[in-house]
Amino acid sequence: MALTQLKQYLRPTTLKEALTLLQEGGKGARVIGGGIELVLFSPPAVTTLIDLSKLSLSYIKENEAGLAIGATTMLTKIIEHPAVAQYLDGVIVGMLHQVASPLLRNLATIGGSLASANPWSDVIPLFLALDAKVTLFDGKYHSIPLSDLYPTRSHLSGSILTEVLLPVPASGTAASFHQFSRTGFDVALLNCACLVKVDAGRCTVVRIVAGGTPRLGAALPTAEKALMGMELTDETIEQVAHVARESADTRDDLRASAQYRKQLTYVCVKRCLQEIRDRLAGEKQ
Amino acid sequence: MRITLTVNEVKRNVEIEPGETLLELLRREGYKGVKKGCGSGDCGACAVLLDGRAVNSCLVLAAKASGREVITVEGLADDGGLHPVQQAFLEEGAIQCGYCIPGMVIAAVDLLTHNPNPSEAQIREGISGNLCRCTGYVKQVEAIKTARRMGEGTDD
Repeated sequence: MALTQLKQYLRPTTLKEALTLLQEGGKGARVIGGGIELVLFSPPAVTTLIDLSKLSLSYIKENEAGLAIGATTMLTKIIEHPAVAQYLDGVIVGMLHQVASPLLRNLATIGGSLASANPWSDVIPLFLALDAKVTLFDGKYHSIPLSDLYPTRSHLSGSILTEVLLPVPASGTAASFHQFSRTGFDVALLNCACLVKVDAGRCTVVRIVAGGTPRLGAALPTAEKALMGMELTDETIEQVAHVARESADTRDDLRASAQYRKQLTYVCVKRCLQEIRDRLAGEKQ
Repeated sequence: MRITLTVNEVKRNVEIEPGETLLELLRREGYKGVKKGCGSGDCGACAVLLDGRAVNSCLVLAAKASGREVITVEGLADDGGLHPVQQAFLEEGAIQCGYCIPGMVIAAVDLLTHNPNPSEAQIREGISGNLCRCTGYVKQVEAIKTARRMGEGTDD
């Protein structure tokens, strides 16, 4: 049996009820989205699970602020949604196709993918690069940048993640995601997400995020600075990818060495920026 | 705790432990077509359709399936005969030891239901969560292509 200490599996029908159950449940209480990791890692202290699936949080809505995705929306539904396919040349769909397998994407939810803060996550680096915001409910709704959710996740204690918002991209913006793993199914040895906004040929907004380093996805500020104000030429891309390699704080683990990950950072950043340049060129035509 | 779920179009009211998986429940209830392979979501042998989507039943808590519809490989064939995907696997000889096949068939049914005309790349992605240690996947891909042709001209 997966969760031997589990005593209660609860299905609240309102968010308030879910929050009360979570707060009253104390340390043994957890919310469950897709539940993959709860079953896989079977944390022994979990005695109460609060299932969010009856809270109507499975949705994808386009509004003036951007693309709002409910926390319990499964990854497959996001892949299949036409508005997501249109968002920044389908960068989100392209990334999600590289996450695990269809069988797991039919279980995994976007809220769980963000809240579990796995260092190998492909979703987190891209959503950080896209300046995603998350909504937390602790009796009141709070919207915070996704980057504020990490690395401690202290915001999540005593609250429930209800939605992620991807802002409307400014014109002249493109994004890209690249990762490298041993097989199509395995988690990334390293992944990288970039977003660039170009005004009059110069980069005015730059996000370069590396994940699976093997720690949680985080920005590479030195590489971002190296690209600010520059043109996306072959030389610049080469230089920025080099800065990314040197500045990435990679480490050894059982999957790959720190040195190998540095080289992967270089390759992934380079491929991302080349793709962004091509996407921006396509936009002008 | 007691839950009610539908398995292969039959409503079932069963007693479960809160922490047990859907795979454990289904096998205990006699649906032995649902295989236990890795138990960690890697091999896909335990795949079932949950509300029409293929999932690793080893990673789904049985409690999570409450009120939902489960289809196992046993539920695919009807009085008229085998499901087109099963028929195609048979015709193409896409089976060696057979252990992965129930999960593979379930994944293929999900794929063809939501994308009736997949490319070879999409077929390969569609079964990327199902490990087969006998074949090189060639026959299974061919079988799904055959099932794709069988589906043409139908309302499904």
